[in-house]
Amino acid sequence: MWRGLWTLVSRAARGPHSPRPCTRQGSRYPGPGSGATIFALSSGQGRCGIAVIRTSGPASGHALRSLTAPRDLPPARKACLRLLSDPRSGEPLDRALVLWFPGPQSFTGEDCTEFHVHGGPAVVSGVLQALGSVPGLRPAEAGEFTRRAFAHGKLSLTEVEGLADLIHAETEAQRRQALRQLDGELGDLCRGWAETLTKALAHVEAYIDFSEDDNLEEGVLDQADSEVRKLEVALGVHLRDARRGQRLRSGAHVVVAGPPNAGKSSLVNLLSRKPVSIVSPEPGTTRDVLETPVDLAGFPALLSDTAGLREGVGPVEQEGVRRAQKRLEQADLILAVLDATDLASPASCNFLDTVVIPAGAGNPSGNSQRLLLVLNKSDLLPAGCSDPHPDLPSHLLLSCLTGEGLDGLLEALKKELAALCGDPSTGPLLTRSRHQHHLQGCLDALGQYKQARDLALAAEALRVARGHLSRLTGGGGTEEILDIIFRDFCVGK
Amino acid sequence: MFCIRGCGRRVAASLTKQHLASVRFGGDSAAPWTPHFDVVVIGGGHAGTEAAAAAARCGSRTLLLTHRVDTIGQMSCNPSFGGIGKGHLMREVDALDGLCSRICDQSGIHYKVLNRRKGPAVWGLRAQIDRKLYKQNMQKEILNTPRLTIQEGAVEDLILTEPEPEHTGKYRVSGVVLADGSTIYAESVVLTTGTFLRGMIVIGLEMHPAGRLGDQPSIGLAQTLEKLGFVVGRLKTGTPPRIAKESVNFSILNKQTPDNPSIPFSFINQTVWIKPEDQLPCYLTHTNPRVDEIVLENLHLNCHVKETTRGPRYCPSIESKVLRFPNRVHQVWLEPEGMDSDLIYPQGLSVTLPAELQEKMITCIRGLENAKMVQPGYGVQYDYMDPRQISPSLETHLVQRLFFAGQINGTTGYEEAAAQGVIAGINASLRVRHKPPFVISRTEGYIGVLIDDLTTLGTNEPYRMFTSRAEFRLSLRPDNADSRLTFRGYKEAGCVSQQRYERASWMKSSLEEGISMLKSIEFLSTKWKTLIPESSISSGKSLPLRALDVLKYEEVDMELLARAVPEPLKKYTQCRELAERLKIEATRNKGSSAR
Repeated sequence: MWRGLWTLVSRAARGPHSPRPCTRQGSRYPGPGSGATIFALSSGQGRCGIAVIRTSGPASGHALRSLTAPRDLPPARKACLRLLSDPRSGEPLDRALVLWFPGPQSFTGEDCTEFHVHGGPAVVSGVLQALGSVPGLRPAEAGEFTRRAFAHGKLSLTEVEGLADLIHAETEAQRRQALRQLDGELGDLCRGWAETLTKALAHVEAYIDFSEDDNLEEGVLDQADSEVRKLEVALGVHLRDARRGQRLRSGAHVVVAGPPNAGKSSLVNLLSRKPVSIVSPEPGTTRDVLETPVDLAGFPALLSDTAGLREGVGPVEQEGVRRAQKRLEQADLILAVLDATDLASPASCNFLDTVVIPAGAGNPSGNSQRLLLVLNKSDLLPAGCSDPHPDLPSHLLLSCLTGEGLDGLLEALKKELAALCGDPSTGPLLTRSRHQHHLQGCLDALGQYKQARDLALAAEALRVARGHLSRLTGGGGTEEILDIIFRDFCVGK
Repeated sequence: MFCIRGCGRRVAASLTKQHLASVRFGGDSAAPWTPHFDVVVIGGGHAGTEAAAAAARCGSRTLLLTHRVDTIGQMSCNPSFGGIGKGHLMREVDALDGLCSRICDQSGIHYKVLNRRKGPAVWGLRAQIDRKLYKQNMQKEILNTPRLTIQEGAVEDLILTEPEPEHTGKYRVSGVVLADGSTIYAESVVLTTGTFLRGMIVIGLEMHPAGRLGDQPSIGLAQTLEKLGFVVGRLKTGTPPRIAKESVNFSILNKQTPDNPSIPFSFINQTVWIKPEDQLPCYLTHTNPRVDEIVLENLHLNCHVKETTRGPRYCPSIESKVLRFPNRVHQVWLEPEGMDSDLIYPQGLSVTLPAELQEKMITCIRGLENAKMVQPGYGVQYDYMDPRQISPSLETHLVQRLFFAGQINGTTGYEEAAAQGVIAGINASLRVRHKPPFVISRTEGYIGVLIDDLTTLGTNEPYRMFTSRAEFRLSLRPDNADSRLTFRGYKEAGCVSQQRYERASWMKSSLEEGISMLKSIEFLSTKWKTLIPESSISSGKSLPLRALDVLKYEEVDMELLARAVPEPLKKYTQCRELAERLKIEATRNKGSSAR
């Protein structure tokens, strides 16, 4: 559903005249789509204790009075108990808490009401039908409340996205991140960049439009150049971090790999608490890559079970091995599983040499893959032997059968995943590939700026860069540029 | 920039005569006793002349109503046309066969393209214009336009009838009432009253109506518009004092010489009327702290600056420059007013101080120590109609077939006025013939940017064009205005002459042919380097390179290229404009690049 919401928001952002701000019209003309008063069930569908129905628009007060007749409007922003009845038949519907939020101090900026009714389907549909019978009211389209809030300047584009994330946060960490974004932390960061960029662009534009018959100060272009360079550095640093936020949304890719019959599928089933993979004592049971989304220590992860890595098998299993190797290359985190009782076998040694050791050593480009080495079947080891393999890289002992060592593994997973996804409470993260796309687009355009010899082309590159940022922050019209030009320079005749 | 039509002494003079009997000029179709026209244009300024001529070109029997025929084509403010953004507008007006570019090619005395080093998209064609010549040439043009009648008279009121149900609007205009009580019927009416609606002139603490004895008609018209429910706003602007030429010490000032060769404004002209060596120079001087002092000490004598009427964010007057950017030196350009004029126009010195203080201020500027002020600068405040009340065709939402163009819509500048005039004239004519409106979008031209900004955002300062307003600046270049607009103007509006249409078609096909020719010529880079040693082509690697790619090098132009490969490229250098446009197109051409 957030996709639909997002489409609406982005459509609102683009709008028919989105390149220019509408601040001057803002006070006089209502925002897009307003005029009508909308209503919707705001809590989840289905049976629940309390259901919340909201309205937004100029007829909200009228609607509230119609349903609670003949009572007056309750005091603003105070919950009051009222008997709701159908305005046509006078038939009582429910005894409910109602709230009255006169605009502009409301979620959408318009007059809003909330009806907290009992959650039975009959009550909810009765109230919705009663609202539909009030003149001037119509059911809201998906995301329309948020869209109106955005249109009235109550939410920035990033905040709207943050809200969408909040509604659909699947895990605790995502919820925290969405909450932070609702406060506009990422928005603040982007706004700061947009401000710098707008100023640099305004100075270049001023140089184009006024340098020949008005006198601009010396060094206008040099200053713009240095601002652009600084911005490039800041964006570059941020973008190198950016993939972490993306991982959080879709989940980190955790790939379970190892030689055949080490217990990979058992581990997957243990972590996902459900029988995802068929487990059998026969080597080569898993032949394809099996994926399952799981919540690992509060982080969303995509857990992949792979075919055991070995050579000299039939064509189907060989394809499985090929897929497993491909998946290993894409993994954010490898859970390498070995049979603790079978470490000397050629398959285990080969796996240690080709997968575990290289990953542990890291590679010069810095793209080292994270890897946790798990020695399974610890229950089969002789009792009292705490660490039988001191010469192996750091590893964890686990018994999928008894569950021994699982807590230690989860703790280690949490540490690795937190590092991968970033801790949402320590800073704004890019939750959407869209953000990354626009920031990268901005950075690319700034690169074009430096190369352009024709000043009009250079300015165009800055315009493109600013366009990308304003997709994240809103705004970005030419009037902002002119404001800066006339504030910073004495031009005009 | 200050551009009121007929103010100061000239207004006073013109309006005392406004009751003189109507005199008709030209008029090949309408007999005086059957006053019924397709289009009636009110006002003979830059918007009015373009509107009347455009409507007549489109085939409508048109009447231009003006207070005085001899003020038609008057440049009442700065003695120049064009500039960055404004030059773009002029090229587009010309592409629609408008007048001002052609008249400027016959009347300029100093032609210079601004921003030559910043890329062809932002080149600003500009010229100092001889006021007298401009007026003469414009009147000659207007009085000889077929289907166009000129009449002196002041409009008092509009005749309104029931609206056409298939269009929006509360009323429909069907004619005008003149000050002498006579009526003229019209299918469409274009209002280009400039700053005439309740205009007030301000010098120091003195304020008086711009039209003094003769402002009855404009007040009547303003009242009519207000009564109809138009939202009216108020703007202010100003003009600098004029200085006697022989009293200026030019020898100690920076001299600016015109371009050689001069680049004409109009697509149909290869050259301008005057040789570069016969053109007049401009001079540059600067303000100093003494000027700041005089302004700041005398703010109490300056009600124009104190008043709350919205002035622009940019700095039109020396007072606003000093107040907003203190302790700075500001440029003052000393511009000639005409070939045989003994006046100098100090661009950048617009001021509303009392006259004697203006003179004092002038004489503390370098080069002007002994300057004689011939006429003081002054401010003007006037009514404008909120342009959100008009559609992109410039027809008002409220009154069908009534069109607004020029300063009445809150713009400033001759070029902005002319651009709206052409569009209003075309649409007034199309409306009569029940044809769809002719609208230029923001992607097609600066005219589109101008009208879209006005009609959707409105304005609360005199709106002036800048290239930074255009989102599609790289493609809305002065050089290609004809390919953007001439064909549409010819086919959809009928406002373009056959001659111009053929010229634009020839240019289009020559460009296409030239580009494919340049693509077809290919040598190794080492050979290009020997052919054009001046170029920075690297001869290190021997790569095949098309002539088109060679032309992308900054230092290579068609002239150099044709010297290297005379056959078949020589013929493309015979027309300067074609050669220059091929160079621009090559630079813009994507694909295999030279670098």
